[in-house]
Amino acid sequence: MKAFRIINFFTPLLLVLMLASCEKEKDYIYEVNPVNVQQGGSTKNNAKSTVEFVTIAWADLFGTQIPQQELVKLNTVYSAFGDKKLIEDRILLNLLNKPGIQVPAATNVNGDTLKFIQNTYKKLYNRSPDAFEQYYMKEQIRLNTAISATVIWYALMSADEYRYY
Amino acid sequence: MDRRHFIRKAGLAAAGAFAAPYLLPGGRLFASSGLRKVNHVVFLLFAGGVRNLESVQFNDGNLMPNMLSGGGTISPDILPAIDFLPPGPLSQPLQNYGTLFRQFRYKEGPTGHYNGHTVAVTGQYVSTDLNIREAPCNPTVFEYYRKHNSPQQTALNSWWVANTLGPYPALNYSSDPGYGPAYGANFISPNFLISQDGFDTLGDPSSFSTAEAAAIRNIRKFANGVFNKSYTDSGQGIVNTESEAQQLQQFISDLYGKAQSGQYINPWGVGTSMNSDMYNVMFAEEIIQQFKPELLVVNMQDVDIGHFDFSQYANNLRKADWAAAHLWSIIQSTPGMANDTVLVIAPEHGRNFSPNTSVDAYGRLALDHTAPTDGTSGDQMAREIFCLIVGPPTVVKQGFVVNSVEGESTEIVPVIANMLGFDNNIPGSAGLKSYNQCDLAQAFY
Repeated sequence: MKAFRIINFFTPLLLVLMLASCEKEKDYIYEVNPVNVQQGGSTKNNAKSTVEFVTIAWADLFGTQIPQQELVKLNTVYSAFGDKKLIEDRILLNLLNKPGIQVPAATNVNGDTLKFIQNTYKKLYNRSPDAFEQYYMKEQIRLNTAISATVIWYALMSADEYRYY
Repeated sequence: MDRRHFIRKAGLAAAGAFAAPYLLPGGRLFASSGLRKVNHVVFLLFAGGVRNLESVQFNDGNLMPNMLSGGGTISPDILPAIDFLPPGPLSQPLQNYGTLFRQFRYKEGPTGHYNGHTVAVTGQYVSTDLNIREAPCNPTVFEYYRKHNSPQQTALNSWWVANTLGPYPALNYSSDPGYGPAYGANFISPNFLISQDGFDTLGDPSSFSTAEAAAIRNIRKFANGVFNKSYTDSGQGIVNTESEAQQLQQFISDLYGKAQSGQYINPWGVGTSMNSDMYNVMFAEEIIQQFKPELLVVNMQDVDIGHFDFSQYANNLRKADWAAAHLWSIIQSTPGMANDTVLVIAPEHGRNFSPNTSVDAYGRLALDHTAPTDGTSGDQMAREIFCLIVGPPTVVKQGFVVNSVEGESTEIVPVIANMLGFDNNIPGSAGLKSYNQCDLAQAFY
């Protein structure tokens, strides 16, 4: 009799627990915040062709597509000297001297040097600078009054990474 | 000191003297085992297709009076087509300063310009038409020089000067995995580089202060340190060292400066006769005077108008002759190269005996260069060329003429290697003709 009373007590409790346990499970969806996935410098394995180098450099400096006539000229001159690194360097130096280039006037954006560095890396290297690069460039700008935006642009455009994509 | 010690010390001193490198008057340091005959070689590829009939056989008189003796006056029917040229810069024809091989041969392979150039600078025949977009598969003389000369020299000492673009820029190094751009020559096509387009593109570079230049170097060095590839990995061609690149940049700036100041308007006093061959040689002379290169190859191509106009072919042949003499006069007036340079002159190939159907204003039929590749059948005249080697009287036999069929295009590279003393360092597997087997060796003492 005592055992029967125990069963009568626990049966409703079990039923309640079972019903509660059958509640529909929530679907959790794990997502990541949207990020702009960019190629790091270490994964750039393809050297730009002559035409690619010239057209990209023109676009970076002038913000426009290179006119066909300019492209023909640059291609011809490019072919006329064996040391391509030297000629690319010279082409860059000449482009930097032309009116209409869109190199920023200052090494900061509204007083924000880091913003200038980030914009420059995104523009020229198509990636964000890592923390070390940000620190180095910021320190260079802070410590060296000789550094202008043009100096930084030319230095980065004449460095090896600019030759690759 | 006893006798034994004296002999030992004297022996060691003598051995040291032989083993130690010598510093030559020109400032060049090289091991005494180099066995150089001269310290500079200039190879003038008298190219564009020059037929022996018009050159050394004087079929239309002597069209090359600055290089060749004899031959008589130019045929009167083409004389109106010949531009005025002042007397040449040499007191006697160039052949008097060296040895002329009148029956030199381009023995094998297609008689095309790029094939001919490739054979001339690689020392190897090629049996098929070459892909004009590719570097030669066999090492060039520039690569042999820069790899095997001791001590190794930079590209400032090795130049390839071409008067046209097209496939010719590719001849400064090969695709051979053992050589390649690391041993290539500096290439320049001055007619295109030192032009209005060239000036528009390269003539007005930004300049930076010393402090700015230092900052640029630092930032670039940092950026290159972060990146895991160097420029040379891109396989884009030869790369000079930074200091040499600066010299070259200055050289290019100087050339633009001279062009702007009018120094290249009638530079040789020949007026409107100055053609692109002459300009190309003139710029090669600028390189000679600036860098005193140990090895320089320069070509001419204007005679190739012979496909359409025989009389202008003859006219340009005469200008090429004038330019060759001017080149030698500049070499001989350049301290460091005077009396220490061998000049080799040879066309890449000749032209056919049978003309094509193009008739010029003087009724002459034009000439192609299409010798059958079997080397025996049909019209093989395009294989008949000449070779003239001039140099110091102590090195090159003066006024010597070889009239029989001797020598071939593949001998030029081993002869250059021998002149500069590195021929024995080139491995036999390269397949070059041995200098001792070269008929051209007759030109030297």
